[in-house]
Amino acid sequence: MTFYSPVLTNAKEIAGHDKLHLFEFVEDEKQYQLKRYLKHGGYAAWKTVLGKMKPEEVIEEVKKSGLRGRGGAGFPTGMKWSFVPKDSPKERYLCCNADESEPGTCKDRVLMERDPHVVIEGMAIGAYAIGCHLMFCYIRGEFHHCIERIEKATEEAYSKGHLGKNIYGSGYDLEMIIHTGAGAYMCGEETGLLNSIEGEKGMARIRPPFPAIEGLWECPTIVNNVESLAAVPHIINRGADWYRSMGTEKSAGTKLFSLSGHINRPGNYEVELGFSLQKLIYDSNYGNGISDGKKLKAVIPGGVSTPFLTPDKVDVPLDYESLTEAGSMLGSGGVIVLHEDTCIVWTILKLIKFFRHESCGKCTPCREGTGWLEQIIQKIEDGRGGPDDLEKLDSICGNILGRTICPLGDAAVMPIQSTLKDWRDEWLYHIEHKKCLVKQDFGF
Amino acid sequence: MILSEKTVKKIREKASKYPKRKGAILPSLTLAYKQLGYVDNEIYIEISEVINVPQLEIAEAASFYTMFPKKPRGKYLLQVCNNISCALLGADAMVDRLEEKLAIKRGETTDDGLFTLISVECLGSCCTAPMIQINDDFHENLTREKLDKLLESLKNGK
Amino acid sequence: MSEVVKEKITAVDTVTCTIDGQQITVPRGTSVFDAAGQIGIVIPAFCNHAKLKPVGACRMCYVEIEKMPKLQVSCATMATDGMVVSTNSQQVREGRKAVIEFTLINHPLDCPTCDKGGECDLQDLTFDHGYDDSRFGFDKMRFIEEEKRDTFDDLKIGPEIVLNRNRCILCYKCVRANKEAFGEYDIGAFERGDLTEINATPGGEVSNPFSGNLVEICPVGALTNSDWRYKIRVWLTKTVPSICNFSGSGTNITFYKEDHKNFVYRVTSRCNDAIDDGWLSDITRYGYQIVNSESRLKTPLIKKGGKQVKASWDEALAVIKKHMGQIKDQSGGVCIGGLISPSLDNASLYSFSKLFRTVFKSNNIDFRGDYRYLPSVTDSLFTIAASQPFSISDIEKSDVIITFGTDLIREHHNEYLKIRRAVNFYNSTVYSVNPYAVKTADIAKSEMVYSPGTDELVINGICLVAIEKKLVNSSAAAKLKSKISKLSPGVLAKLTGLSKEQFEELAEAISSAKKVTFIVGEIVARSLDRDKICAALSNLNKLFGVQDKGQLAVLSRYANSKGAQKLGLSATPYEIVKDELKKIWGEYPDCQPRNTDAMINLMKKEEIKGFITVGANPMRLYPDRSFASEGLEHVDFLVACDMFETETTELADVVLPLCSWAEYDGDYINLEGKVQTGKQAIKPKYESKAAFEIMELIARQLGAKLFENEQVKNEEIEKLLKLDSVLPWPDDFLKIEYEKKSSQDGYPVPLFICDDPHHSGHLTEKSPSLLNFSDSAYVELSKGLAAKIGVADGDPLRVESPVGKIVVPAKISPVLNSDVAIIPRNFSSTQTTSLLMRKKRVDSVKLTRVEE
Repeated sequence: MTFYSPVLTNAKEIAGHDKLHLFEFVEDEKQYQLKRYLKHGGYAAWKTVLGKMKPEEVIEEVKKSGLRGRGGAGFPTGMKWSFVPKDSPKERYLCCNADESEPGTCKDRVLMERDPHVVIEGMAIGAYAIGCHLMFCYIRGEFHHCIERIEKATEEAYSKGHLGKNIYGSGYDLEMIIHTGAGAYMCGEETGLLNSIEGEKGMARIRPPFPAIEGLWECPTIVNNVESLAAVPHIINRGADWYRSMGTEKSAGTKLFSLSGHINRPGNYEVELGFSLQKLIYDSNYGNGISDGKKLKAVIPGGVSTPFLTPDKVDVPLDYESLTEAGSMLGSGGVIVLHEDTCIVWTILKLIKFFRHESCGKCTPCREGTGWLEQIIQKIEDGRGGPDDLEKLDSICGNILGRTICPLGDAAVMPIQSTLKDWRDEWLYHIEHKKCLVKQDFGF
Repeated sequence: MILSEKTVKKIREKASKYPKRKGAILPSLTLAYKQLGYVDNEIYIEISEVINVPQLEIAEAASFYTMFPKKPRGKYLLQVCNNISCALLGADAMVDRLEEKLAIKRGETTDDGLFTLISVECLGSCCTAPMIQINDDFHENLTREKLDKLLESLKNGK
Repeated sequence: MSEVVKEKITAVDTVTCTIDGQQITVPRGTSVFDAAGQIGIVIPAFCNHAKLKPVGACRMCYVEIEKMPKLQVSCATMATDGMVVSTNSQQVREGRKAVIEFTLINHPLDCPTCDKGGECDLQDLTFDHGYDDSRFGFDKMRFIEEEKRDTFDDLKIGPEIVLNRNRCILCYKCVRANKEAFGEYDIGAFERGDLTEINATPGGEVSNPFSGNLVEICPVGALTNSDWRYKIRVWLTKTVPSICNFSGSGTNITFYKEDHKNFVYRVTSRCNDAIDDGWLSDITRYGYQIVNSESRLKTPLIKKGGKQVKASWDEALAVIKKHMGQIKDQSGGVCIGGLISPSLDNASLYSFSKLFRTVFKSNNIDFRGDYRYLPSVTDSLFTIAASQPFSISDIEKSDVIITFGTDLIREHHNEYLKIRRAVNFYNSTVYSVNPYAVKTADIAKSEMVYSPGTDELVINGICLVAIEKKLVNSSAAAKLKSKISKLSPGVLAKLTGLSKEQFEELAEAISSAKKVTFIVGEIVARSLDRDKICAALSNLNKLFGVQDKGQLAVLSRYANSKGAQKLGLSATPYEIVKDELKKIWGEYPDCQPRNTDAMINLMKKEEIKGFITVGANPMRLYPDRSFASEGLEHVDFLVACDMFETETTELADVVLPLCSWAEYDGDYINLEGKVQTGKQAIKPKYESKAAFEIMELIARQLGAKLFENEQVKNEEIEKLLKLDSVLPWPDDFLKIEYEKKSSQDGYPVPLFICDDPHHSGHLTEKSPSLLNFSDSAYVELSKGLAAKIGVADGDPLRVESPVGKIVVPAKISPVLNSDVAIIPRNFSSTQTTSLLMRKKRVDSVKLTRVEE
């Protein structure tokens, strides 16, 4: 069988491109080997950092680059690093969040499978910047091949002195633990992830204290997404200004988008932030249009936690600000395309079942609310909906939004709210006629 | 001990890397699952002794995650992603087909102990949907023909 | 420890915020919830608990804070300067309503059959904040065990606790308290999301010594206990404040009583931050059941023709008058002795002393029935060590805590919890230094297990290493060095089984600590070498200046041990107490004082002819059963006052039924010296009387009178309580000679007889609930020792000492890791003290498997 995912990427376009960089070597079958990685300039940034830069300088450079967290929240990476208290006598930890599990998103997996060293190098630089000597890579347990690749790469990195004691003779020690998840979406949420590493259930923690102050074992801890960390070596190598020159004013750099659903060319594409969603969907180098020649019904732009976009809003630049303005979010970059024959109620039912299943159960609104929502939506889907069900959904969503410990509650209700607003007629139709408005048939 | 010496050794090795003992809970469960294909209370107790963490903490953690079934499953664990990207491309129909071909419902194991079928949440193969994970391996961009062939080859022990 | 909590401790600075229009200044690190509470604004909550870290799970305690768009949970939001909080805005009210609605969707409305009814947080908060209708149109989730369909879905998860998962609202307080406050791992939350369920550890049960608290803090009827279940509705009971009678801490409790039935229905906590944080040990919670026991002594008994028969008080008193009068007249009052329980109240203790010293003119009294071969002088070093000041609340203020010679979970549950709190919330460092591995050690930085019987050598070792490493004042060092035995730290390490590094670690910890708590416990107190150990402690105290920066004391074990010392209940009271007594009474017997051991010895010689025990059971507890029984069987006339028939009352010529502490008002002095009142909850059951009353009756039979009236009695007691009862340590360093001690040949396993974690003394076996946890003796031993002997958990084991033999089941300890045997003394079915010899320095036994 194929060793790694047969997913389509735009590596060819990127090769030779002076800006796009994350996917430059992902089609190189030997890129996962240290030898090849070094040939492609690997670990040069790590050497530079250890040899020539102070931790503050690294933080400064990343701050200047404008890199923002690629996991979904978009928090500036450099600034996050700077929150680690300088004078804390405690250990510090860095965790790479490789628990990629936002439905619609499969970009980190590609990076880890095909270019594992860049993730390790990015982690190492981040670790150095915050004074960490033990870093964790939290990979979701289902990604057996990613785990193997990262494990192998780590072994290689250790054996060649890129990790371990006194790296490159700098006196800096850095150890790495690969911690694998075991099937819990919540562990992609940073506090759930920390709990999971500590051996707890992957339940959310209240903030403050924020992990940068009190994370793993009550020590300052930074959690960064795979893609954010993978960008770091490039920033060090080519400079913050180069990175800044990509993307938009507030959303610098490039971003990986996973394009899935009813699309002709589903795949992972690296584009500059600010790239047109319209182009991503329709351009023949990317999505190449809606499958089966159908019309577009909706786009979920940033994984299932983000509000749906109606077709008239699809002509939007893919950056943090523009998507917020359009009423949704950039999220994790998981763009899911729904064609005209997709039932909104069915879609939402899929999502709410997921959120109910993944709710950790700690706080009341999310634990009880997601189950209640699922039951109502199931009822509507089954043709047993009642006239007051939509108002009930509105009200329950309102009672969850902004009221939970972690963002899972918001994530569960925002897509529902957006469809209740933009496709209310379809919901009503479903209740009144006890069936879908569209003829949905996703045969296999 | 049900855990093999090899597993225990691996657990100890992994556990020694963590700053606090409890951190070794998940890795220990994972290693135990790898050996046995299930993790039950007896195993919690054994792990508890190896890493010196209360049995309760191990039991609580294990119950939270979906990858630590308490009972052994079929030789081939078929996990069909049923989340949105796969569902848009026919994952529901794919599960139906598997149910029909294997003559079991989701959650069940075939009488010969060869297959267990479950439907699961997103496995990160959205751009290569629909997909199925069989034991450690992902099978992506599936079609009816590919799936049938895959099943046949498994049945024939390949 | 969270930054927040740490800040709380070191906070000198404060913040001022506004809550509902009122300004309030609180220490930085105070939660909005607590700040509001300080000005009388009660914010509703389910998951918040004053003594646990906030988790923000239930979301009931929402408040609105200016400049924050979302509602915030007040339990986990710290007050900051200038913060403007509203606890009752429209948005807040709606938020709460929503939480109640969510909470109720899967909560059964079985209030009529729920035991929590009337004191249920969910009921009350729904009444205050909820909707009057339900919008949830689906079936509620129901956890059910198929085979138990007809039992309201109840699941017994421990000896006492019944769980109803349907009612559980997942506030997680039980699991949090269990782990965070008690360090116990027998109840957990399993699965996730709305399938989450609270349950016992798979294959186990919830039976830890603090498990009753889980029921008390449950906000709904998910956790109930068989003690209270379906017995009475809470609103039919009245509450009475009282004090725990089974420990030295004076844990505050509340009795729930019903007047018509003259019955106590339960005990709950009465949170006193300075003492107990609102946590009760199960002994404290369920021990009250002895009050209601059917097996209590109901009437006086007198021996007729070798058998005890029922009698009236008048008859019994007449017999006492006759015999005691005779002994007094013919042999003199010095031939009468008495032993009283230190769990009795001040008035009873004092009346006892006054009866003996002014009516019998005898100095033969004691309150220590379970200490062997006591020192016969007032200011013995042990008495000094036991008189030292101690503050429970200072435990958590100490950065270094040393527990020495104490198995806290069997002796001092309350302090055990305080130490856990000190570690979890205040970052204190604990060193556990004991002759066997103890449960406390799981929170200790280091656990040091020394060879049984080498207690004072351990202390000497610490001192010597401190001197060697120059950790202490050099002139003091020089003075001390000449006094302690010539043994080098290396040799001491070898003898004690510790290492020089361990001595150093302790010396380093004590010398660098800002504040020290040094707890000495029953293992030292019950040692024959207690004086020598206390001499070593005196040296250590002086060398390190421990008390200048903290506290060091032998903790009192019983409810009123301190009161007994202060009121002069030992044969040799403190000099100032003796002087005061002389002043009050105008007399004081000049005969030789005899303590328990001396008295029993004299019984055999027939020099003690009359003996009165009050609540004391030397036959069970004196650490030499055959010595005690030989003595007591020799006594011509024995009067025993107790709540129950005991091994001692069996021998008595007259038995008098004693009241429980729930049946009269009484003052008790806890181990800190704090006087607290336990109020009367019910009328004396049957014909029982309080000890002070009995003493007065006996006095009057003999033509004397102890007190004109109650006021006089109180005034006299008051005078004694005013005295400073801390005895000074000797000025100089003390010489300590080394003496070789070893276990007897052929009896290789050191033996410790102590309390079961669910029992205290000889009375708690009358509590059905406590028996549910532990109902008979066992010998607890390490896994290794069990393997050596070839026994598994539960196998019968013969325990033999040079003087006695018992057969009890083996119990494999999860904690012990050396060759020792621990046997509880709480069960009449096994006379454990028959294994002991009062003059033995190290008790030891031989353990052999009983072949089937």
